[in-house]
Amino acid sequence: MLELLLHSSMLSPLVAVIVASIVSSIVGSFTVLRGLSTLSAAITHSSFAGASIAVICGANPLLGALAMSLGFSGITAYVSQGNERKADVIIGMIFGFSTALAVLFLSIARTYTATAWSFIVGDVLGVSLIDLCTLIIVATVTLCIVALLYDEFKFITFDIEAAEAMGLRTSLYHYLMVALIALFSVVAIKVVGIILAIVLLIAPAAAAYEFSHNLEKMLLLSILIALVSGVTGFILSIFFNVATSALIGIMTSTAYLLSLLASPKRRKCKEFIKFRRRVVKEL
Amino acid sequence: MEVEGSMNPVVSVKNLSVAYEDKLALEDITFELKEQAFLSIIGPNGSGKTTLLKALLGMVRPVTGIIRILGYEVPSERYEVRKQIGYVPQRERIDPTKPVLVKDVVLMGRIAKKGWSRRLTEKDHDVARRALEMVEMNDFWDEPYAHLSGGQQQRVLIARALATEPKLLLLDEPLSGVDAATQDVILNVLREEADRGVTVIMVTHDLNPLIEVSDYVMLLNRTIIAMGRSRDILNEYLLSRTFMRRVSVIMAGEKIVISGADHHA
Repeated sequence: MLELLLHSSMLSPLVAVIVASIVSSIVGSFTVLRGLSTLSAAITHSSFAGASIAVICGANPLLGALAMSLGFSGITAYVSQGNERKADVIIGMIFGFSTALAVLFLSIARTYTATAWSFIVGDVLGVSLIDLCTLIIVATVTLCIVALLYDEFKFITFDIEAAEAMGLRTSLYHYLMVALIALFSVVAIKVVGIILAIVLLIAPAAAAYEFSHNLEKMLLLSILIALVSGVTGFILSIFFNVATSALIGIMTSTAYLLSLLASPKRRKCKEFIKFRRRVVKEL
Repeated sequence: MEVEGSMNPVVSVKNLSVAYEDKLALEDITFELKEQAFLSIIGPNGSGKTTLLKALLGMVRPVTGIIRILGYEVPSERYEVRKQIGYVPQRERIDPTKPVLVKDVVLMGRIAKKGWSRRLTEKDHDVARRALEMVEMNDFWDEPYAHLSGGQQQRVLIARALATEPKLLLLDEPLSGVDAATQDVILNVLREEADRGVTVIMVTHDLNPLIEVSDYVMLLNRTIIAMGRSRDILNEYLLSRTFMRRVSVIMAGEKIVISGADHHA
């Protein structure tokens, strides 16, 4: 089994897992802090539809996923800026509509079962060199956008109202941030699939949040948690010969649960509640 | 209504009306404010105070009326205006658990003034440090924002607005939920800024501390009930009309004490 793990064919899948872990941590941190988890789930589902249409057209599914998720991210970014209730309904509709499109196109295609399964739960062991290049290009674009606009992203994440009042074009940054989620979904669809993409996006960032009082620390910790969970899940899946995406999903979810138990923020909160109860009793 | 000052109006509002769906939030607001003026806007809940600030910032579209700020028309030239404004939102609207340090928050005031993707310089850090010093929070530069008390967080938000080196400062309830010591620090800083030539507009519900420091007071309840020098308009008749309840004004030597209006405005 160790020989299999060290085989040269494992290099591309391992690099894909590492790339996905890094992108998910960075995009996920802003997603968690801005409360965009539901929106990101809708976008990852729209990438499923794009990949399915690309299969029918004989194009690269990742490029189809990229086009569709960017299109839907524009719509969701637009509606999520207005009335919250309306946005919630429209995001829910996009969720269902994009999945319906995906199922429709896959039912037309003859390769239905194998292709659909690979989009839904990922197929990291089947990553080709072209796939890997696409993932690396998408990841590089994502990291460049974040590096260039880091300060602006931090401002709108902390206080979007003041950012707008003091001259930042917050709509533009919001659209860009949602577009980053679309880019992530392209990376994730091959590695963990659309269902588990949301876990990879949210869990490491949410776990890192429990131990961080500044954004830089949260980003680094999130990358570390995602890398450890991702690579460990990958190795274990090879040893036990089970689905890689499932073990990556389980590892990242476990990391989040453990972070909740060990969280200094929550411990502090509990101590405060105990202290208040004691004071009330004494009074 | 016009209040005198040394130069051209910094803020000029004519016949401004703002509506949310079919409900008028502000009706026929007209006033001018010149440089080096400190205006406090007071009124009961839902009287349109925050809406007026947002209209000045171009964040809500007026139904009727003309707004000119620093020579620019709002909302059409709002981005030019916003670059010259320091804004302090209501503290309660910000999630204090977000992972940022005090220096991150104050430096946000500098980010707003920069172009796309331009990095912060040493000068930006110096300006931010000075702003934090003005609100007596310089020892907290590297502290997490989440670890501060409500009053300290309020001071940091004011430092962020000062770090923009604004010509116009807009503050939404900066005295809400802070202790007397913090109130003094905030009001002293705002007074100093006004004396340096910055125009200050503050929305507040706490009347007593502002009487000493404000140059002008606007009594607002959907429309302007009165606007002028504090001592000229803070009387029982106008305050009772504004708050739609009985308000007592007690003269204590040089001081005016108001009771009955400290209901959240």
